[in-house]
Amino acid sequence: MRAPTDVPILQTASSLVELTSDTYVSLQGLAYGGGASALVPIRTLLAAAVEDLDRARRDLAQATREAGGRVQTSPDPAYAPVVAQALPTVRGPGDVVGLALTLEDVLAQTLVRDVVDLSSPDVRRTVAGHATAAARRKALLLTLQTLLSTGRAELVAVPPDLVALPPAAGTVGFPDVLFPTEKASPATEGALR
Amino acid sequence: MTGDGMTGDGMTGLPRRRFLLGLGVLSGAAALAACADTAPPGPPAPGGPPASPTTSTAPAPTYEGDAALIALGAALSGLAGDLLGQAASGAGQGRYGAVPGVVSAFLSGAAAQHVAHAEAFNRLLTNAGRPPVDGYPLLVEPALRGRLVAAVAPVDLLGLAADVTATVSATVISIAGGVTEAPAVALAAGVAPVAGMHGATADFLLGRPPTAPADPTAGALGPDALTV
Repeated sequence: MRAPTDVPILQTASSLVELTSDTYVSLQGLAYGGGASALVPIRTLLAAAVEDLDRARRDLAQATREAGGRVQTSPDPAYAPVVAQALPTVRGPGDVVGLALTLEDVLAQTLVRDVVDLSSPDVRRTVAGHATAAARRKALLLTLQTLLSTGRAELVAVPPDLVALPPAAGTVGFPDVLFPTEKASPATEGALR
Repeated sequence: MTGDGMTGDGMTGLPRRRFLLGLGVLSGAAALAACADTAPPGPPAPGGPPASPTTSTAPAPTYEGDAALIALGAALSGLAGDLLGQAASGAGQGRYGAVPGVVSAFLSGAAAQHVAHAEAFNRLLTNAGRPPVDGYPLLVEPALRGRLVAAVAPVDLLGLAADVTATVSATVISIAGGVTEAPAVALAAGVAPVAGMHGATADFLLGRPPTAPADPTAGALGPDALTV
């Protein structure tokens, strides 16, 4: 059995994964997210994110049980109201990207901080893997956000026209040398009582 | 609600200072004293064979325990930085034909961050009284350099970058689970996602699907990949 002190950390991580996954599913139901008018990179990112987050949900649930805790299956209580307020205001691909980016940044920062706090080497490795997956999605979202901000939707394509892309699209996806953690959620935020 | 304001502040300036500040925290408190599982080699035992006259230079450093994993991180990050930096330099010299500005910018930007990561791993070693990793003492180095030599077009450079950053990311994730000292865990935890972001950007430029690997440590190098 893993350390009981890991339980609230894992429950909070699970709550953020639940919220992020639920949000992606909601965005997939929108025309600009998963519908016929969605830009291909956005549609494929949403589908891939749902798969990645399903894997994160399973891994975190197993780690929680092995640490002797109950599995958190509810969305993060701090950010759920924010998402509920934001979803009806999504009007286009830029809004889809912006909402997803906000959640992925909080999720990734929380998971990075969790790696430092967790006691089990195996769980640290697992959580570091999911932190990296969230960071990968953040990188792509930052890139898409930059391209959308040019007003030229044709740049958001698969494969992209490398000659047409602005040079900034090559670096905007990794703005920090060391992944930040100042926006990490506290370990108690999504913990079960 | 948008992602504005939730991200970093660019490639220079504040993020760099924030990183260095973070390293200041990471490198405190004789960080990895405990990672030195074995003491550095001392003088020959009394009565032992005399030192060879050809051994006047310092012996190659060896690393064990946490130090071996940190040295692996330093060597691999350094190699990634060198390869991508040379790719960017060659692109600037016209060695790979017409290289789009977005590709050159990506190579230069990612290279700089890998170099910074190598410096950070080396700082952990020196804080623990260990020598920094000299060069890129890795079994994989010749093969990776061979790929750079064989590259003829921008897509080859991006493919190499995607593969190298995938190896860095997987290896550093594994390091995060393998090391025991908090400063080393913290550094690995902060480096792995950034390497993943490099990989995601390379994948996007290549037109590859944005799928994270099912096993995030697949392809990770272990300490036995070091040649020192």
